[in-house]
Amino acid sequence: MIRNKHILLFFRFVVGGVFIWAGLSKIFDPLGFAQNIANYRIFSQAVSLFLALILPWIEVICGLLLVLGIFRETASFILSGSLVVFLGLIIVTLMRGLDIDCGCFGSLSRSVDYKLLLMDCVLLFFSLNIFLSQYSAKKRKQNTA
Amino acid sequence: MSIQTVLIKLEWSSAGPLSLKKMIQRMAFILLFSSIIGLGANVSLIKKFFSGEYQYGFFSLEEYSSIVFITLGEAEELFATGSALFIDSRAVEDFKEGHIFGAVNIPFVEKKKKDELDMESYPLEGIYVVYCDANECQSSVELAKLLHEKGFQDIRVFFGGWEEWVREGLPVSKEDDSK
Repeated sequence: MIRNKHILLFFRFVVGGVFIWAGLSKIFDPLGFAQNIANYRIFSQAVSLFLALILPWIEVICGLLLVLGIFRETASFILSGSLVVFLGLIIVTLMRGLDIDCGCFGSLSRSVDYKLLLMDCVLLFFSLNIFLSQYSAKKRKQNTA
Repeated sequence: MSIQTVLIKLEWSSAGPLSLKKMIQRMAFILLFSSIIGLGANVSLIKKFFSGEYQYGFFSLEEYSSIVFITLGEAEELFATGSALFIDSRAVEDFKEGHIFGAVNIPFVEKKKKDELDMESYPLEGIYVVYCDANECQSSVELAKLLHEKGFQDIRVFFGGWEEWVREGLPVSKEDDSK
């Protein structure tokens, strides 16, 4: 686990920035994002639309919280959880051989491929470090108090 | 003084590790807040969904006015009169295994990657019936949208697709018999 505060600050800005950008691109194109979700052929149309309307806001809010340094534990926990789900979806899609856009960045999305898998792994590494560093730093403070 | 320090002083954040209960409360708040904003900002979209506008896919029929969805009966009639060109949007391998008699193959996924349609010789005013496997397949809809953007004016999407056509025992072929 990384403890260097400068590196963790970099992680916060990268993860927060990526999710703010990803969320905003989807907020302005909810139909496009709903279709991207439907293309995974896992969720019903109603669920796809519901997720398309809610997820981008979760991403923007958690991204902002990370960048501003507010509620870092909660925000990084939510984003880590969503990245785990995205990784699962990517793996399943690659196994099924579906050639679809990931829907990660709305109309600027890339195809679901191994590069996307790697990018998500890197982001998950960053966000998990943010979460764990917050938790352990506060635990150390509590123990020494 | 950082924002975190201010929040600790206001008791909105904690100096110690977050309890599970508090983390769940904050997560629930973020999810609820996102749901309210997300659903509230898209009420008209939700109304359109429940009125059936997006039954064929998430796109605006008003925006893609040249696209019409047709039934098997309507596709059959167009086939019988020879008044439409049928376009198979599936992959080349699927097309070669069998397709609607006289259809041309424009494999949507490959064409999208190369950003070319190869339809320059086809008149924009003609009637084009696009199909793929069945109603779970989206490539016919995506190809129809692309055709609309290229200026084609009368695009019919046969949503039942290849499966429904074969099930009814209608004319099929494995050769390139397009006109």
